[in-house]
Amino acid sequence: MNKETPKTPNIDDQLAGQYVLGTLTVEKRSAFEQRLANSPELQKEVNQWQAHFLSITDRLEPVAAPQPLSARIERSLDELEQPPKPITQASTNPIASFWQNLVLWRGISMACFVLAMVLGIKLHTAAPVLSEPTYIAVLVQPENKTPGWVIQTSHSNQMQLVPLGAVEIPAGKALQFWTKAEGWDAPVSLGLVKKGETLKVDINKLPPLTENQLFELTLEQETGSPTGKPTGPITSIGRGISM
Amino acid sequence: MSSSTGFDYEGVLHQCAQGDRHALRQLYEQEASRLLTVVLRILKNRPLSEDVVHDAFIKIWKNANSYHQELGSARGWVYTLTRNLALNALKHTNRQVLAEPDFLLDLCDNQVLASAEESNEMQALAEDHLAQASLQTCLEYLEPERKLCVLHAYVDGYTQDEIAKLIDKPLGTVKSWIKRSLNALKECLK
Repeated sequence: MNKETPKTPNIDDQLAGQYVLGTLTVEKRSAFEQRLANSPELQKEVNQWQAHFLSITDRLEPVAAPQPLSARIERSLDELEQPPKPITQASTNPIASFWQNLVLWRGISMACFVLAMVLGIKLHTAAPVLSEPTYIAVLVQPENKTPGWVIQTSHSNQMQLVPLGAVEIPAGKALQFWTKAEGWDAPVSLGLVKKGETLKVDINKLPPLTENQLFELTLEQETGSPTGKPTGPITSIGRGISM
Repeated sequence: MSSSTGFDYEGVLHQCAQGDRHALRQLYEQEASRLLTVVLRILKNRPLSEDVVHDAFIKIWKNANSYHQELGSARGWVYTLTRNLALNALKHTNRQVLAEPDFLLDLCDNQVLASAEESNEMQALAEDHLAQASLQTCLEYLEPERKLCVLHAYVDGYTQDEIAKLIDKPLGTVKSWIKRSLNALKECLK
């Protein structure tokens, strides 16, 4: 490979090593980064040093990476995949205003609800209901993986969120139940959890449950997340499986 | 998760470049804990470190297509990207370098001790890269004080100024120790 600078490989080795150690001055670092951007050879040198030095930090006692961090990364990826929609221009952007039209969505969700009720009643009267769980998820606390909730669908059209122990909800707060399947743009709220109650969700209102679908509970304001997306810390999280 | 043996870092980056999220998830399972360990060591601030690891995975996802075989170690690439974010984050935080002499001494002892100790365990940890094991061997040839400078820089992310103050040596001495140590390591690793 031809090099665009007359610097000797020795000096480049030296610089690459210092770059990896992080000991270059601000000026030298940014000068080196500019050269780095255009030189695969230098990048290779850097990655090589890094791979060598990694063997030192590989020996540090590992810290567990929390599951919510992975959920957060997934959310950020979701946002990346969505076409850019500048929030500041929401009022003038027809697509954004469509999504933010509360009246419209209330109308649609009401219509869905009514439809679901009608279909549900029809189903109940037409066919016997299976009571075997068909789909299940265990939600655990992110910090210590203690199971806190179980989700199961034992009826063909209803999902239950059952607490496994006493539920502590701080005053003025509520737990909001969310789900997100692969390929969805954002998590969908399944409702707010009230103390000591089993939350029942009509799954006819949802797209079909999928393997590995993510379920989580986040701590939100009493009235639920103001943005319609999870904003508070995740208290429990898990993925669903078909039985 | 204890060993990185056999994990196809290169393959995973290629899949990420093609928009395969499962690949990024695999990388997370494989490496997130170690990355967090490295970043936390530098920043000494858990929430900030989690932010950095989050940003690192997003950046890995976005930049995966700029990685190709010619660039050498894919794992090195991942760590270079992540450590750079951590070092940048350092500018916006008041990390305390001072006032932990015992901790630092322990750290040094541990490092010196661990490096001098059993090479078996060390090999087990780095068995996927023969070259990595040899860095440990090469470090042995450095004088303890110089080795410490290198370790403080790499493991703790301390600046040369900070290191000079820590070990109570002139900045110039630290600078030349680090330079010479790198040259010696490079020579030894050949």
